[in-house]
Amino acid sequence: MNVLQQDFEEAMGEMALAAASARAYALSWKDRTGRKVVGSFPMHFPAELVQAAGGLPVVLQEVADEITVGHGVIFPFYCGFTRSTVDQAASGTLDFADGIVFGDTCVQILGAADVVRMELPDINVYFFQLLACMRDSWTEENVYDTLSKSRRGVEQMLDTEITDDALWSAIHLFNQNRSLIREIYDLRRRNPDLLTAVELQTIVKSSMIMDKTEHTGLLQRVVSGLRERAPGQDRSVRVFVSGHMCHAPKPEILNLIEEAGAIIADDDLYTGFRYVSTDIEGEGDPILAMVRGYMAKNAKVPDPTKIDPEVDWEGYLLKAVAASRSQGMIILMPKYCEPHYYYYPEIKEAFEAQGVPHLLIETDHEEAPLESLRTRIETFVELARQREFA
Amino acid sequence: MNLYALGVDFGSMTAKAVIVDQEKRVVAWSVIDKGVMIEDGAREAIADCLHQAGLTFEQVAATISTGYGRRKLDMAQRTITEITCHARGANAMFPDCRMVIDIGGQDSKVIAVDDAGHVQEFAMNDRCAAGTGQFMGVLARALDVPLQDIGDLSLKGGHDITISAMCATFAETEVVSLRAQGTSTPDILAAINESVAKRTMGLVRRVGKRTPIAMTGGVARNIGVVRALETQLGEPLLISDASQTAGALGAALFALDDARRGIKAEPLQPDFRGEADRFVEPGGKGGCKPASLLIPSDPVA
Amino acid sequence: MTAETIVRTPTSNRLKTTSLNNKMVTEYWDDLFSAKEDGKLVCWFEGVSINPLLQTMDISWCHGEAWSALLAAKKEEQPALEAAEERGYQRELCSYARTHLGSGVLTKNNQIPGTPNHTEMAGRAPAPDMIISAYPYCSTGQQWDEMLYRLFGKKVPVFNITLPYIWGNQKNDTYMHGEDFEDAVKFLTKQLRDCVTFLEEVTGKKFDYDRLGEIMQYTKKASELRLEAMDLCIARPAPATFFEWSLSIAPVNFLPSGPPIVDYFQKLKDEIAGRVDAGIGSVPKEKYRLFWDGIMNWGKLGWMAEKFANYDACMVAGRYTHMGFWQEPHLIDCKDPLEGMARNYLVCPINHSAPSMIDRITALCEKYEIDALVMHVARTCRAFSNPQYLIAQQVSKRIGTKVCMIEGDMIDPTFYKDELVNSRVEAMLEAIDAKRSMI
Repeated sequence: MNVLQQDFEEAMGEMALAAASARAYALSWKDRTGRKVVGSFPMHFPAELVQAAGGLPVVLQEVADEITVGHGVIFPFYCGFTRSTVDQAASGTLDFADGIVFGDTCVQILGAADVVRMELPDINVYFFQLLACMRDSWTEENVYDTLSKSRRGVEQMLDTEITDDALWSAIHLFNQNRSLIREIYDLRRRNPDLLTAVELQTIVKSSMIMDKTEHTGLLQRVVSGLRERAPGQDRSVRVFVSGHMCHAPKPEILNLIEEAGAIIADDDLYTGFRYVSTDIEGEGDPILAMVRGYMAKNAKVPDPTKIDPEVDWEGYLLKAVAASRSQGMIILMPKYCEPHYYYYPEIKEAFEAQGVPHLLIETDHEEAPLESLRTRIETFVELARQREFA
Repeated sequence: MNLYALGVDFGSMTAKAVIVDQEKRVVAWSVIDKGVMIEDGAREAIADCLHQAGLTFEQVAATISTGYGRRKLDMAQRTITEITCHARGANAMFPDCRMVIDIGGQDSKVIAVDDAGHVQEFAMNDRCAAGTGQFMGVLARALDVPLQDIGDLSLKGGHDITISAMCATFAETEVVSLRAQGTSTPDILAAINESVAKRTMGLVRRVGKRTPIAMTGGVARNIGVVRALETQLGEPLLISDASQTAGALGAALFALDDARRGIKAEPLQPDFRGEADRFVEPGGKGGCKPASLLIPSDPVA
Repeated sequence: MTAETIVRTPTSNRLKTTSLNNKMVTEYWDDLFSAKEDGKLVCWFEGVSINPLLQTMDISWCHGEAWSALLAAKKEEQPALEAAEERGYQRELCSYARTHLGSGVLTKNNQIPGTPNHTEMAGRAPAPDMIISAYPYCSTGQQWDEMLYRLFGKKVPVFNITLPYIWGNQKNDTYMHGEDFEDAVKFLTKQLRDCVTFLEEVTGKKFDYDRLGEIMQYTKKASELRLEAMDLCIARPAPATFFEWSLSIAPVNFLPSGPPIVDYFQKLKDEIAGRVDAGIGSVPKEKYRLFWDGIMNWGKLGWMAEKFANYDACMVAGRYTHMGFWQEPHLIDCKDPLEGMARNYLVCPINHSAPSMIDRITALCEKYEIDALVMHVARTCRAFSNPQYLIAQQVSKRIGTKVCMIEGDMIDPTFYKDELVNSRVEAMLEAIDAKRSMI
């Protein structure tokens, strides 16, 4: 193995370690630096604020642990992310967070945050309501107002001042991190053999957890390693994977898809392309730049929790499937994810009208019988392959 | 010199085997009531089929396995899912059909098919048992009625009762409660049929109803469910005595395609990084044993 | 007949005035079904009661939840649910939305020339000429309206009102107090004014604020009378039940405002006052006083009333009825009502977070001398079920009320399990008995 390859493996190894346990990483980071951690619920918290305040922003993650005490404070008909997060709060494993922030993503998250606040009375659980309606006349003003308040909220939480300069530094660092991950996506789209779907997930997930400067360094090593690899021969069925807007799909499912003979050519997963799609551009007032970034994000990768008549998720998906030369789309829909439930019929209708195959798979925190999933995915691959080579 | 192909459907409750000749005629078929828990089931079905056809295993040009236990069969060159196989098999039985409803032991499926028997869309019941053979089995036991009798008995029932539970366990509670109130067994059985039909209608709606509709799978033998489903569909169902073997038939036809193309095995993907237990290629790519070592010389188990 | 036991002779002593409510509701729906023939514009909305704005402009309205509840109560929800399923809406989605979207599909199909009309009730809602979204707390509501908008081809004018969620970021934020609350009132009031402009644009008419003021006078009066009537239920035995209060939501929720609703609540209050004087209770042998937390189970209202009456239990009050629907009428200034309306909208029973909600529920339980909470856990309504464990724990801790949780749903009967309800309710009542015998 040459040096670049070894470097690549080591960098991936560090990322995998962080991705395996946000808690372990955060506690060790706190130990090393003596600074504070702010946990955030998905999806739209501008973590640059925490970076600028000298803290470590961590996107809260679903963990594989069985839900135990959590089921005494939240019902089972909630998505895996909310149940796991509540379970972590109730069992004391969110102890790495000195503060928590959440926004109005969906009503399940609002409920989970209410429970988390009651379970963790000693920390500040801060709410910021970023407007869902993207095109109302007051949208930009209201979002500006909310982000300004959030800045003050984070300042209070971390007992420090966030200067404009510090905020711009953070924005540039995060932009750099995002752009490197996007480069990895580009390399992989051309040659999916470069990384497995789980490796790609590890790269994004570790970015959500690790110190961004540290992570950016690792990314540079990964990108260098990848650039050297020769393109492979691509005879598999290509699929686009959509869904899971708040938490990472289980690696077992991604592996199943690959085992069934498909390559995941591209995605719009949160722990995937969604997290890195849009940078914050501009100069001058950093809050204004963040507002514009928030508004631009939905046009880049549509989010069903946003209300925007000009942006059609189904149109985006059809284009993305075509652009990635995929034979079809696999939707991973977390059970009880209402935002996804609402939008799915539009996607179904559009894909059926265009004759593009898609497969809907409901996921949940508890393990689904893998055999049943395997059968569905294999059938889909058989169907897609037959259309491709018909 | 005739070409023969074998299809094996190794399901959760039963094993089915079908042999076709090069004219796509069914030469033999067999159903054994031993499912994937008992490995002999598939071997018995194959042996029985070969015996009926007067063939040895070597005379079979290609074998494909399908069903829940498809990967457990060493003698198959490759596996194809039961959905794809049921579509092909139902199409062979009923060339006009454009939709297949398959209610088996563990799951139920609705498949939209084209005129060549290709799957266009499909939907399967999610992890709960409602609407499957197992659901009916649990409830038949609760009523102390043999499974093979529930169909005829249910036709004597009225239609005033509904069982609303989606879960087999809660449905069982409802059934027990109805019994305690003195509701007749035929009435309860009729309600169970309605419930199964209703669940199936959900899947039909998801895929989008297309006609004519064929029904395959073990529950197709239950005349009560068939009638309830026909009523809710507003369509007659195409069913044959051999409906249960649709999956195996489809697998046999795919095997025949393979045999015609001179293909012994076609790997599903070239650089597969996971387990390679599903297919066998001469030369042993990926650590698999060559086919010849696994085909028993004596077809009788 | 289902597996549920139905008691033929009513045990509970039902209020006579409620039949007047039923009459008003029937008339309202009949009017709505013929709105198009009468040349009226129709607005579809769900969430808070913005109908006074619509009534001011002579626009007819279809309130999504009320429509879904009606279909469930009449056992007519299945065609809508099936249409929704066919389109691809999953079963675990909010059943209000599923029913409404499904009926939207039927209504939309009815618009296609040459196709057979759906004659079932679920297809009778007249197509919308406009959509207004004004959903508190539950983001699901905003998405629901967005999907309706898309269902109707993005052609119907739509107006989105965002109701800020009252979380309480600052320690000194309490019920209706704090900087965040005041900011929310300002923001919401501004949106209501913009909504008025929207209505003017769509109708081409000028909005008459005086007329709104008149309308709100009746709503205010009706609401005051309703609250006074509710207060009378501190009497033992309680003269009315939560189930009847559920029915009586209509006049302060989606029925047109005016003298009839004032008259209704006056009559209701008089009947209840009469019962208090005569010592007549809703449940002949009131042994237990209960509080219903959670949304209603619309398909089983009467059935539930009977069930509890048979247990000698009176469901005296509930979160849904007692913490919503213009419950702060004194805030409404009829000369300039929008701000007072905004304040009321913001404190609808799901729009404030658990600590504030727990305070108010505890206060209600003390006021009505409640023995136990019945938490109706509606499978598809996470907005209501979100804080239920917290409410159960905290209220129980503070004042010793017993709790039982029963599963169900507001519309979909397949989520309801009768046997479980019976055993849990009985266990809870036994626990109350045990506690009493120890005192």
